[in-house]
Amino acid sequence: MSPDTPTSAPILELRDLTVDFGGVRAVNSFNMAVAPGELVGLIGPNGAGKTTIFNLITNAYQATAGQILMEGKSLRGLTPDRICHRGISRTFQNIRLFPFMTAYENVELSIHSAPQYSLFEAFVRLPRARRKERESRARAHQLLETVGLDKLAQARAGSLPYGLQRRLEIARAMAASPRILLLDEPAAGMNEDECKDLVQLIRQIHETQGYTIIMIEHHMAVVMDLCRKSRIYVMQLGANLATGGPEQIQNDPQVIKAYLGERKNGH
Amino acid sequence: MGYLQAITILSGCNLLAVLGMAVLTGYTGLFSIGHAGFMALGAYMGGILGKEMGWNLVPCLLGAGLFSGIISLGIGYPAFRSRLRGDYFAIATLGFAEALRLLLNNIHSIGKWRLGGAYGYMDLPELKHMTFLPDWAVVVIVCLIALWVTHMFITSQYGMNCIAIRQDEAAAEMMGVDLLRTKLLALFVSAFLAAVGGALLAFYFGYINPSFFGIQRSSDLLASVVFGGIQSLIGPAITAILIVAVPQLLLTFALYRFIVYGLLFVVVMVFRPQGLFGYVQMNSRWITRFFRHKPPEAMEQP
Repeated sequence: MSPDTPTSAPILELRDLTVDFGGVRAVNSFNMAVAPGELVGLIGPNGAGKTTIFNLITNAYQATAGQILMEGKSLRGLTPDRICHRGISRTFQNIRLFPFMTAYENVELSIHSAPQYSLFEAFVRLPRARRKERESRARAHQLLETVGLDKLAQARAGSLPYGLQRRLEIARAMAASPRILLLDEPAAGMNEDECKDLVQLIRQIHETQGYTIIMIEHHMAVVMDLCRKSRIYVMQLGANLATGGPEQIQNDPQVIKAYLGERKNGH
Repeated sequence: MGYLQAITILSGCNLLAVLGMAVLTGYTGLFSIGHAGFMALGAYMGGILGKEMGWNLVPCLLGAGLFSGIISLGIGYPAFRSRLRGDYFAIATLGFAEALRLLLNNIHSIGKWRLGGAYGYMDLPELKHMTFLPDWAVVVIVCLIALWVTHMFITSQYGMNCIAIRQDEAAAEMMGVDLLRTKLLALFVSAFLAAVGGALLAFYFGYINPSFFGIQRSSDLLASVVFGGIQSLIGPAITAILIVAVPQLLLTFALYRFIVYGLLFVVVMVFRPQGLFGYVQMNSRWITRFFRHKPPEAMEQP
């Protein structure tokens, strides 16, 4: 069995995914298959098209060609909010919290982005609506605790330090009760200690919640650590370059070439 | 006393429309410069229901609100489907309000109903004859109900979705907020409230005229929200009352009103771009927070 084939039926599969922006082919026939419960890394040099892949999965950009299948069903053409309700949630490379909401509200919003009671119940707050709100409040606090932000629940999201904003984004993404979590550079801008904490957090939520996680990351230490037992996809110029376990990737001549460039021997 | 009552009623009608604008602009971030159009719809529909159908006050107000709300969906659906935002949506609403005003100016009658065109729609039932309460009390009660309902709406899960859209539309959509539906809902609520305000105005005067609902009024409504504060109900509510009451109380200086307006706006936009009461929720906490030296989040930071 080749290393890029997961062992069981994939929960998410990208087939020959392609997108053109004007004359630029940002993603070119990209293939990926992720098994349920896997934690897969997605790396590549700057501009390789990694974030574009996430934007295509969540349909923030419309693909030009190819297929995006979740459990065999196509996601193309669904609006981003529908895709979220199908069970795909994400964080953003450039943090996109709701800056003027509190940390708690950010998480709570995502729990009930599809309101759980009718408009009439909203106006008069019948007991059912109040109960639903109590439930989501409890869950929001529990999620904040998971990422270690329970004491800052009432702080304005925009006023939190950078590293905590990243954690809050993870909590918010988890609040949507996803089955697939897309993490876009969760360790960007973090120092070594913060990275270690983050690795621990991601591993913990991966193990306890049973999410399937796809993670874009530039911090090699983070990727290599988290994807020890699984696979890493390497992208270059919008296409698959290599796939395999950490050691395999680190020793792949093509990957080394893509990252470090090529010596001009004899040219 | 009659004078004070008149000011109460006029500012109450204005308050209703401004509450609608607060939901649409202050919370959802959609700018409308044609909200007087929804007031006009409410005024004329209320007039028709009251005068031609002989309905009572409450069904008249609800009918006027529903009618205007449904029309607003007709404008909102194509606009939001094609993702009109910011200035473009504002222009769409302006177009609607002006087209409606011109239409009303030129429709002299629909069947037996004599809307009167530019002469105005006359002999409407008067507020003081419609209920056993004095007219100003009716307006105050309607305003209190509207404040309560709006407060409930914006603190509900629906309202949170509106707030999310204003703060980051793309992120809200990817977190699962249905943009089209939420925006239409905000527009519906806001058109409903504006129409109730318009209908009350019609019943107070017993007469309406398309020129009541020109761009001047639309911009007053928008100004109340921007001035009073985004993501706040109490700020726009106070401004809505002041914007009617102050020029009335200081009638001798009425001519200078626009100079003062202009000046105030520049000052507020420079020093408090979020508006006087921006991000202030309508509850007891804001009072204590308002007088505290440090905002609480600054203290909670590690």
